[in-house]
Amino acid sequence: MRIKILIFLGIFCFLALSAGGCLGGQQKPLGFSGVISYDGILYLGSTDGKIVAVNPSARNQEMSFPSSDGEWSFAITMPSKGISCGPSSVPVNIYGTPVVVDGLVCIGTYNGKVLMMSPSARSQNLDFPQLRSSEWAYPRTEDGIEPIVGSPVAADDTVYVCSSDGRVYALDMTYGDEKWKSDPLGDKLWITPVVEEETVYVSTFDGHIYALSAKDGSLLPWAFEAEAGFVSSPVLYENTIFAGSFDRNLYAVRVGDNEPLWKFPGDNWFWAAPVVANGVVYAGCLDGKVYAIDSKTGNELWEFDAGSPIVSSPALADDLLVVACDSGEVYALDIFNGKLINEVSIDAPIQGALCIQEGIVYIRAQDNCLYAMDVGKGKTNWRFPLTIK
Amino acid sequence: MTYLWNLIIVDPMLNGLIALSSLLPKAVEFGLAIIILTIVVRLILTPLTLRQLKSTKAMQSMQPKIQELQKKYAKNKQKLQQEMMKVYKEAGVNPISCMWPMLVQLPFWIALYQSIMRALATTPENLLDLSRHLYFWQIANQALPLNSHFLWLDLGQTDNYLILPILVGVSMWVQQKMTTAPSTDPSQQSMSRMMTLMMPFMFGILCMMFPSGLALFWLVSTVIGIATQYFIGGGWGYLRSSTARQSMPRQRDKW
Repeated sequence: MRIKILIFLGIFCFLALSAGGCLGGQQKPLGFSGVISYDGILYLGSTDGKIVAVNPSARNQEMSFPSSDGEWSFAITMPSKGISCGPSSVPVNIYGTPVVVDGLVCIGTYNGKVLMMSPSARSQNLDFPQLRSSEWAYPRTEDGIEPIVGSPVAADDTVYVCSSDGRVYALDMTYGDEKWKSDPLGDKLWITPVVEEETVYVSTFDGHIYALSAKDGSLLPWAFEAEAGFVSSPVLYENTIFAGSFDRNLYAVRVGDNEPLWKFPGDNWFWAAPVVANGVVYAGCLDGKVYAIDSKTGNELWEFDAGSPIVSSPALADDLLVVACDSGEVYALDIFNGKLINEVSIDAPIQGALCIQEGIVYIRAQDNCLYAMDVGKGKTNWRFPLTIK
Repeated sequence: MTYLWNLIIVDPMLNGLIALSSLLPKAVEFGLAIIILTIVVRLILTPLTLRQLKSTKAMQSMQPKIQELQKKYAKNKQKLQQEMMKVYKEAGVNPISCMWPMLVQLPFWIALYQSIMRALATTPENLLDLSRHLYFWQIANQALPLNSHFLWLDLGQTDNYLILPILVGVSMWVQQKMTTAPSTDPSQQSMSRMMTLMMPFMFGILCMMFPSGLALFWLVSTVIGIATQYFIGGGWGYLRSSTARQSMPRQRDKW
């Protein structure tokens, strides 16, 4: 009878563990890292926790990865938490877009780490961090800070990053030492901050736009308070901050003012940070539309219905506005009237930031592939799976 | 199918939960909203619960007869089954019909569970997904993101102090004890004893892995179940009789 009891006990424990540890109960996070181009190389985060450097010309020639032309991949893992049926270490999630500073690649990860990587050390597969190659990790301990969702921002000799603990961190660019961390600014900070001269601007989930001193992280006298929380990262253009809110409005707030300059309503959240150029705000909305709005008056200039939620920020290339949506369609629009010039479609959702280089749009889609698209010609040049061993 | 499920059941519940949160004090909004919504769903499902209790009670009243039969036909299982079915038929009780009210309630509990998990939106993907299920209610949109802190808990994370898993385990054990009829058959006895222990244990373990918002929902739901059982089902049920039985041999030992 005791053996029977033990068997039952084992089965129950197994069921409990598999249900809790493996199924989790919430949608599995994948991350939606964007792509950045520096010196002819593309840098991005994959859905399986790798930072990948891709040379577009090597991919054009279908060379094996990594080619000797600046290509490498670096897997970032963390110990698996709690009781799990999986391996002891798991890949991290990467939401932000890497930043390249003086040839070094910087990224913030969902396990709360900021990493500065040297392409030469990574292409040689050396242990991380190689201090002689100016590599570092913050914090240096095994435990990270709270999850980082936004991208790091580099200005002067400092890297600024926001964390889910509601704080902004300023790190020394050369050694990764903490220069300062701000007081908690309300709830989680899932955004990319704006750094302008001596000021850091952040928009928060509890509906504030704060200005902090870039020197010591102290709060500056001005702060703006909205009726609802801000969902998108802020964008600064001609002393005005643009940010999307949970109340389905895009806010334009002049720095120093307590009232918004204007509010533009959408039919859902403006999740992606807008793009502003030549006095026009181009904002993608989760209602599936992209709006062109006069930055001074808030008047709508034109709109384009993409038919599916727009999660990634639009990108500008000369007179074209490139918009990617969650259903996998990529549209090239005339920036003056929103007229559709061309479109390309892929079979995967697009949620990460786009990168346009010499007329080619590079997108990391949620199928963990990097796509190169010639939107002007309406075709996909190549598709590169990022599931590299 | 998923679309219909969301449209008819989950989305109204989710939006109701968020709208309700916005009406409550910010410091405890989501925790309190979970408690209130669990109570409301329990109240809506009261007719079904009562029906289930009634069927269970009828089954329990037949226990002496059933136990007699179990003793009598201990070696002939087939005959035992036949005789038991005869007794149920005579009393006009269908043992399977006891399950129906419980099965009908199940989708509502699953929907409530999904609503809580969606509203918590612990990852960027979850938050993005939430936007697809929200109504055009300003009140719900302005309430986001919800304050996930409640008492000592972060409802989006597990309870590090293990208070909630223990409370869920203990309350489930009490509920199981109240409703599980003792059996004279030794093999059934050990089986029911095991179930009474295993279910609370399993839920306790699950509470250590799932966000505490879900554990709070389980706790409230179980406590309401215990209260309903106590007031409508007639006191502590088999919990009292089993504890009395356990204390008897000890008294005898003393003598």
